[in-house]
Amino acid sequence: MPDMVNLSAHSQQHPQQRQFNPYTENGGTILAIAGADFSVIAGDTRQSEGYSIQTRYAPKVFRLTDRAVLAVNGFAADGNMFVKKVRQRLEWYRHAHAKDMPLRAIARLIQTMLYSRRFFPFYVYNILAGIEEDGSGAVYSFDPVGSYEREACRAAGAGQSLVQPFLDNQIYFKNQKAAHGTSHPAHLPLNTVLSLVIDSFTSATERHIEVGDGLEIYVVLSKGRPMHGLEGLRGMEEVTTTNDGERVFVIRRDLKKD
Amino acid sequence: MSIMQLNGGSVVAMVGKDCVGIATDMRLGNQALGISSEFQRVFPLTDRIYYGLPGLATDVATLRERFRYRVNMYTIKEEREIEPETFAHLVSSTLYEHRFGPYFVEPVIAGLSKTPSGGLKPFIAATDLIGCLNFAKDFVVAGTASEKLFGVAEGLWEPDLEPEDLFETISQTLMNAVDRDAYSGWGCTVHILTKDQVITRTLKARMD
Amino acid sequence: MDHFPTNWGRPRNDAIDLYGTYPIHSRPGPTTDAFSDGVQRTQQPIVTGTSVLAIKYKDGIMMAADTLASYGSLARFKSIQRLHSVGEHTVIGASGDLSDYQYIQSLLDEVMIEEFSAADGHSLSPDEIHEFLSRVMYSRRSQMNPLWNSILVGGFKNGKRFLAYVDLLGTTYSASTLATGYGSYIAQPLLRKAVEGNEDTLTEEQARSILTQSLRVLFYRDARSLNKYQIATINAQGTHISDPVTLDTEWSFAEGIRGYGSQTK
Repeated sequence: MPDMVNLSAHSQQHPQQRQFNPYTENGGTILAIAGADFSVIAGDTRQSEGYSIQTRYAPKVFRLTDRAVLAVNGFAADGNMFVKKVRQRLEWYRHAHAKDMPLRAIARLIQTMLYSRRFFPFYVYNILAGIEEDGSGAVYSFDPVGSYEREACRAAGAGQSLVQPFLDNQIYFKNQKAAHGTSHPAHLPLNTVLSLVIDSFTSATERHIEVGDGLEIYVVLSKGRPMHGLEGLRGMEEVTTTNDGERVFVIRRDLKKD
Repeated sequence: MSIMQLNGGSVVAMVGKDCVGIATDMRLGNQALGISSEFQRVFPLTDRIYYGLPGLATDVATLRERFRYRVNMYTIKEEREIEPETFAHLVSSTLYEHRFGPYFVEPVIAGLSKTPSGGLKPFIAATDLIGCLNFAKDFVVAGTASEKLFGVAEGLWEPDLEPEDLFETISQTLMNAVDRDAYSGWGCTVHILTKDQVITRTLKARMD
Repeated sequence: MDHFPTNWGRPRNDAIDLYGTYPIHSRPGPTTDAFSDGVQRTQQPIVTGTSVLAIKYKDGIMMAADTLASYGSLARFKSIQRLHSVGEHTVIGASGDLSDYQYIQSLLDEVMIEEFSAADGHSLSPDEIHEFLSRVMYSRRSQMNPLWNSILVGGFKNGKRFLAYVDLLGTTYSASTLATGYGSYIAQPLLRKAVEGNEDTLTEEQARSILTQSLRVLFYRDARSLNKYQIATINAQGTHISDPVTLDTEWSFAEGIRGYGSQTK
């Protein structure tokens, strides 16, 4: 019993105070795949907190320049603020250098911006996709404090563990052996990639309550690359701002709303 | 760290055309430390029923013996082999007997059940650790890689797969899921049950 | 109650005890300097308002809130206005701490005066006011000193409807129906069913009856609500906040209820 007395005396000295939690988790999934001369980056449009759907349309994928698209997932308020800050830095760069920042430079910028908040992080998983200066499709993925890597494909967010192993299998051909005298392609064609992206999100929607409602797929095409396969696609819209550079498209699709 | 994740391991079962598949990894671990790459957690019960017990290894051993005992008693009393559906309910009630101090396993059952016309119908089921039954028409998953298994299976599975296609589908599902799971892997075993044979194969998988 | 069946029957995790049902050993708190006692940062809401509801309709936005300010479970002030118009085109409505809300109103008043003084012929649009609010809320949460509110912003300017949400974390979103507090659990499903897909056809009459019915349901089930409410309309004619109205409610069914409180037979 003396212990109990001590415990209550101790708790009177320091009244139990509920600390304000500055973070929450808003669900959703994002995903990006790089092709030889294009990249595709997508996210669902559901925003939720706990078991409540806040809205069925809150974009998580944002066009930064004609050759860079950024997807953010995690705590929505941090995500929106982070995109806002990245865009401001890109605008300053444009004013200083009279051109858009190259993709790999944006990637490094994002890493320094995330790391600058190492001790009060933006609770956001970032995926950056676009076209490098050499015309190749690229995907960069980040953790909330700025560790980053260039890859061919990456999924993040609530559905990461459902989607990533599927992509390992279908993009990297993991655990698959090519037939005799053949080899697996290093990059897949655009229409295959788009089908995989849509299938990934339909699967994640089927099995994860935080994924669904709508799908936004951004496609960035390298300079001078023919459109083949993309023109006339249902729900497609071009969002390019300049005439003779890379081109950006967005494809909007419905996902199950339950 | 949950007891369910202490030893690691995952099982998946799928329905095909007149056949079923059940596949598992072979890792036994103690948290992050790998102990064995030859651990068995999928067992034959009859010629037409296989079941897997991902979860706490000590309970895997205990339950295997309990199920063997209870099914033997059933066979003697009834003078016939147990049907997969019946076994699923046996598993469920065995687990629910321990509702407030459960065995830490999530059983997966795959079998071919007899139809009134004398044919065979594929059957799969899974339960949680207290025996809540899930009779799925497509696939069931359990274990530390269950979320990954759900993701890949949802993308790869299709209806009416022939035995060899089912083998490929279930193998790819399992291997790609466990390769992204730190607590599963270290080899895979696959069983495909058809009307006249059971195909058992050990897969060449990543061992890291 | 743990709602995740897979957690049932597993050993409890003593590091996380959501409902404080078990005396948990607590470590000494973080070391602080000599002045820390004099600084109050993290707070809890004191005098609070409950749900605010808002929907889009044919001509604009309609928003509703009751007039109760609660002090814990005490119905402390029964005639507090929680809807507030900001300029010509916007109405905001808040739930949560009402002193924080009054501070926000004074901030907005200040901004509106500043904008008026510029005399540049420009008046702040609803989305600009929402942006301002979300920046204030996000910056305060980042200082670990939040304004403890969930706020709805409704507006109509240049023929365009605007309806958005912002809360103490700086989280923002927009939809054709919005609700805060208990309203997000109880009223939002009713609002979505009535409004989604009909945003451009709902008349003012219909919108009003949808909101009134939702407020009634809330009054029946939310113990911190009141049967006195106000409705704001924001449309081409500008903003209008109604005088307090009393809900007609039906309680005769209560006679038939047995087994609660003092009535046990």
